[in-house]
Amino acid sequence: MSASERLFSPMRAFEHPVTYTVTIAVAASLVLAPLVIQGLAKVGRITDARRRQLWVRWQTWMVMAPLVFAPILLGAAWTIAGIGLLSLLCYREYARATGLFREKAISLTIVLGITLITFATLDNWYRLFMALTPLTIVLILTVALLADRPQGYIQRTALGVLGFVLFGHGLGHLGHLANDPNYRPLILMVLVSSEMNNIVGYVLGKRTGLPLLPQTNPGKTVTNVISGLILTTGLVMILGQSVFRGTVLESWQHLLVLGVLISVGGQLGDLMFSSIKRDLGIKDFDVTIPGHGGLLDRFDSIVPISAIVFHYVNYFVGVGVGESVRIWTSRG
Amino acid sequence: MDDWKYKPAGDLGLPHHEAFKSLKRENGLIATALHWIWWSFVRAYLNLWHSLKVEGRENLPNDPPFVLVANHCSHLDALVLSAPLDLRLRDQIFPIAAGDVFFTNPAISAFAAMMLNALPMWRKRCGPHALAELKQRLIEEPCCYILFPEGQRSRTGEMLPFKAGLGMMLAGTSVPVIPCYLKGCFEALRPETRWPVRHSIQIRIGKPITFESVPNTRSGWEQVATDLQAAVKGLGYDRVTSANWQT
Repeated sequence: MSASERLFSPMRAFEHPVTYTVTIAVAASLVLAPLVIQGLAKVGRITDARRRQLWVRWQTWMVMAPLVFAPILLGAAWTIAGIGLLSLLCYREYARATGLFREKAISLTIVLGITLITFATLDNWYRLFMALTPLTIVLILTVALLADRPQGYIQRTALGVLGFVLFGHGLGHLGHLANDPNYRPLILMVLVSSEMNNIVGYVLGKRTGLPLLPQTNPGKTVTNVISGLILTTGLVMILGQSVFRGTVLESWQHLLVLGVLISVGGQLGDLMFSSIKRDLGIKDFDVTIPGHGGLLDRFDSIVPISAIVFHYVNYFVGVGVGESVRIWTSRG
Repeated sequence: MDDWKYKPAGDLGLPHHEAFKSLKRENGLIATALHWIWWSFVRAYLNLWHSLKVEGRENLPNDPPFVLVANHCSHLDALVLSAPLDLRLRDQIFPIAAGDVFFTNPAISAFAAMMLNALPMWRKRCGPHALAELKQRLIEEPCCYILFPEGQRSRTGEMLPFKAGLGMMLAGTSVPVIPCYLKGCFEALRPETRWPVRHSIQIRIGKPITFESVPNTRSGWEQVATDLQAAVKGLGYDRVTSANWQT
């Protein structure tokens, strides 16, 4: 597959069985969900309030699912650009929640860093991608000096560095997975399995078991975590067999470890952002997605998973092995 | 010493259309960039099309808080009054605009918020609570307001009496208020016309006044309004010839 085909062509979008299976499964779930909600309401298994909440969530997913699937199916360039935009929007929510948005120079530097990371990913220039993190951090520390306001310097720059590392560098790894010719099933597997964690948590609710970290997130119980761990790992082991066919990661041991990493990483992401919200005294990061809160409330678990999956796959089989590098910037 | 405090955006949790109308709205990078573009354009337009002349620029404070007040007879007034201000302050300058004119239609509301950086004043339901909120923001943030104490555009070009509500925000505070007189705006964009015509515009900026010793009572508010009305009117008379600067 040529670089331009991978970046821009949707012609081979459904070539991999995992891609069409996941796409059809999600589409079918969205079609069937209203019937299930109505059925549950009719037999009295859910309250009226819960039914209304599920309706809002279903409507939101009807918008969100195409927005997530379309770029992935259309081509790697759209996927990378979409993840770049998601990183910027997540940073915006974080900056508005922490108050960092008032530091315009730091915020502008982070936006520049995220934009450059997206470009390095589009160019499949891994060295630039990795170099941009320390370089952006140095730039954040430098531009913060220009205000000549040492009071609060550590806090301002630390918040800036954390924001950039989470949304520029962290989420950027998800974009970099799109430099693999097999990126569609790989990214879909990551998204669907991380969503499995959330679905398990939502279905089981707060009623089952002891809270894991009651001060951080009283809704996350030990039962939820273990159930999520089992189901997510199981899903990764099933999908992974097809995604990694013919590679060392095909073995059940590797897939077991990857499944555990995705599940634990997702739970940690959830807890990390819950902790940030409790620290700030806010309930949600924003109201961008009706029924969910902000984008960060929905995609929090993806942030740590992105780097974990990227480096696990890159270590054992490599991401984008044999693909053209520096697609736009090399002279040859 | 640590001066950093976690302080989420004042309009956090509000949907966009609500955030535009919120008195707690704060500017992010996109709004800042739009303000820069818009105000640079406005400045160039006023200079080229209306040959804008500014007198008394030295009376403008370098930093917030401060309030600019002026006579009001055209939709150009807020643009003209903002033109001499430093672009560095662009995010901190809030023209106070009529809510029922600028914040009822979603598109106009987005324009007023994102380009003009305006905050709404709901004329029919402007209670002490809204004024107290504006006062708090003016002092604590601190920021700058552009206010037209007549409460509406003059339909004849003649100044209308100043409303005492302004006094509620300023009595007992040390916030400098800068009286300004706008000349030529009425002729450039009359209330009954849609597009501005070519006509020269001038601003005369007076010396700052404070109302620290004025009691925060009804009589104090009225005194603030009377004093400011006299100051603005005074700027409308030519200092040399004593002729009315309006004519």
